[in-house]
Amino acid sequence: MSPVMILLVSMAQQMSMFLVIAYLLSKTPLFLPLSNISARLPNGMIIYLIFSAFCILASLFGHTVNDAIANTRAVGAVLGGLLGGPLVGMAVGLTGGLHRFTLGGFTDLACAVSTTLEGVLGGMVHLWVRKQGRYESQLFSPKRALIVTFFAELLQMTVILLIARPLDQAWALVQQIALPMLLINSIGAAMFMMMILDRRKLYNKFSSAGSDQALRLTERLVGVLGDRPDEASARRIADIIKEETQVAAVGITNETEVLAFVGLGDDHHWVGESIISEQTLQAIRENRVVFADGITTPYKCSHSNRCPLGSALVVPIRDADNTVIGTVKLYEGKRSLFQGINRSLGEGIGRIITEQMTISQHHQQKQLLAQAELKVARAQVNPHFLFNALNTINAVIKRSPETARSLVSDLSLFLRINLKRNQTVSTLAQELEHANSYLHIEQVRFADRLSIEQTASDELLNLHLPTFTVQPIVENAIKHGTSQLLGDGVVRIYTRVNMGLPQLVIEDNAGRYTPNPQPESEGLGMNIVDTRLKHHFGFDHGLKVECQPDEYTRVIIPLTGEST
Amino acid sequence: MRVFIVDDEMLAREELKDLLAEQADIEIVGEFSNGVDCLKALAKLKPEVLFLDIEMPMITGLELASMIDMASAPDIVFVTAYDEFAIQAFEQNAVDYILKPVQRERLQQSLARMRQRSQHQPPAFERLVKEQPLTLIPCHQGQATKLVRLDTFEYAFSDVSGVHLWDGNGQVHSHLTLKVLEDRTPMIRCHRQYLVHPQAIQEIRQEADGNAVILTLSGEQVPVSRRYYKMMRDLFSL
Repeated sequence: MSPVMILLVSMAQQMSMFLVIAYLLSKTPLFLPLSNISARLPNGMIIYLIFSAFCILASLFGHTVNDAIANTRAVGAVLGGLLGGPLVGMAVGLTGGLHRFTLGGFTDLACAVSTTLEGVLGGMVHLWVRKQGRYESQLFSPKRALIVTFFAELLQMTVILLIARPLDQAWALVQQIALPMLLINSIGAAMFMMMILDRRKLYNKFSSAGSDQALRLTERLVGVLGDRPDEASARRIADIIKEETQVAAVGITNETEVLAFVGLGDDHHWVGESIISEQTLQAIRENRVVFADGITTPYKCSHSNRCPLGSALVVPIRDADNTVIGTVKLYEGKRSLFQGINRSLGEGIGRIITEQMTISQHHQQKQLLAQAELKVARAQVNPHFLFNALNTINAVIKRSPETARSLVSDLSLFLRINLKRNQTVSTLAQELEHANSYLHIEQVRFADRLSIEQTASDELLNLHLPTFTVQPIVENAIKHGTSQLLGDGVVRIYTRVNMGLPQLVIEDNAGRYTPNPQPESEGLGMNIVDTRLKHHFGFDHGLKVECQPDEYTRVIIPLTGEST
Repeated sequence: MRVFIVDDEMLAREELKDLLAEQADIEIVGEFSNGVDCLKALAKLKPEVLFLDIEMPMITGLELASMIDMASAPDIVFVTAYDEFAIQAFEQNAVDYILKPVQRERLQQSLARMRQRSQHQPPAFERLVKEQPLTLIPCHQGQATKLVRLDTFEYAFSDVSGVHLWDGNGQVHSHLTLKVLEDRTPMIRCHRQYLVHPQAIQEIRQEADGNAVILTLSGEQVPVSRRYYKMMRDLFSL
């Protein structure tokens, strides 16, 4: 075998060994920073360390040829530059070069200089690719690594010829090592890069699997969430999060104490104890996500030195007013890396819980509003009506004790229904009874000016309506209708079926309805009735009003009978 | 004392009549179920006291009070079921109010106060008038009574049959006096018997004798007497 061929095989062996080491390394979290381009210092640091080590090992294990060393150092320097940028590249090259220099030989200076230049070259290409505005994934192209390394080795050969003396010896060396070094280094760099690229692809695939996971997690969480978490619901939430994210442990707190803790370390993280962890207190105090990744910011358990947890993500939960009411905490063990996917997932969980609570608060407030409206309707015994009724009774007592007695019983009935009726839905019969107790009094009061006509089909009397629907409309018909007439007032109350739909119609002969009543007039009653009808029967089933000025106002109440 | 009772509820009127009948010096000269009818009868029957319900059709008791000419104004007692109205806003001793159901003692107090007043003092309605300028005028056309916006009238005049308003097409009758219209609407006086709405003036023509004539938008001629012409010239900076 020719010396060149022997050298080629030996270097191929060397490179194979390095690639195996690199492959094994790629299975560890140490490799993760390599597959991510980041300007952050720890990232550059790791790249520097790995590739400097590569350079040094390459020099140590190099094949000695004529007082020089044929080696694969270039892979380390070029890749260090490609992945870490000019500064990291130069640092790697310089470290590898200086180390090489200490090993001596007639090419020591030339190798030191060229290795540094190789690192810088890789860094310049890194800069160039980024300046072009290309995607950073372009940096991971094995083809580019191959070409750059090829030129880097050409550069090295040139430098050796320029610096190493005697020249004839240098020339002889280059003739022997140029081909193997060019070939092996270029191919090795490309393969190394492929390995990093694979790792990166795997990582991205993992992330997209993460979005499925996020959807499933959301779905499961929404089922459990409602109001502010208590211990029971917090425990369920924590279980779901732990199951779906596979983190080592999950904790949930309110503003002051731990509501749930599941997973690693649950032997000393107790439910019910006060929050003492600095990260959690900070998250609550500053209303922001706090992340202790375990590498740059260590997480230290406040309870026990032997706690196996090494990193933590603390996400605040906020209520509708954006005040912190608790936290969700995701932990990883000391020996595992806190995955980026879980970090974004954790922050998402915080948002989901916050959102769900806002919705639930909103829902509660709506219910309160509906109850309040009912109270308003009930309390709306018009004081004018009450005192006028008393005045009427007062006037009637002497003239017709019998009428006075029936008035008193109508008034009692009216007040009793107003004050006591609790159910939100009543039958038409009940509603008419209420309206009639009111009407009897008004009819005596306006004896000479008001007549009432009422017809309701028996078969409709059991249909349902929101309680306090009919009486306020009848009161409106008199108050804003017939009582404003100089002449005789007529109020008609009747049921009818219109296009297959049963309806109750309340009609007066004043025709004084205005769609936009002045704020001080009592349009409020009508609005509440309308809102509640729509609430019970759907948006299409509100009040309808027909008005012919000076002739009639007709208020139509739909009787669907079935509440939604 | 000659008394009017104005209430849209018959039983309320009956009740008050019963209570007033116990007083020897009370004579009920009129009983009305709305303010419009009351207004019609005021000038003719000249009551000294009005018992006024507040919630009534067409015009409320408060509106009615503001339509009464102060010069001949009777004492007013509001009789109401529920005192949410700012009756306190009125000058204290000018008007009185009683709550329904009316208590005999309270009514007697009120009557005693009116008897004590040696001389009739017109109610001080300035505040009411300021807060509630007249915008709707009760009008009669044949048998019909309606409320018409003041802006629709060009001028008002009085003759032996009463006060009339011209709306550009025809005239309606009103039971308000020219004095009330002058005091409580934007209409200005141009003649002892005429008021004109400033927005209806198209032209003012001076006549040789020192009088003038206003030409309204609808082409009507309204006389301007020498005395009021001067005032109008000042008003319009002529």
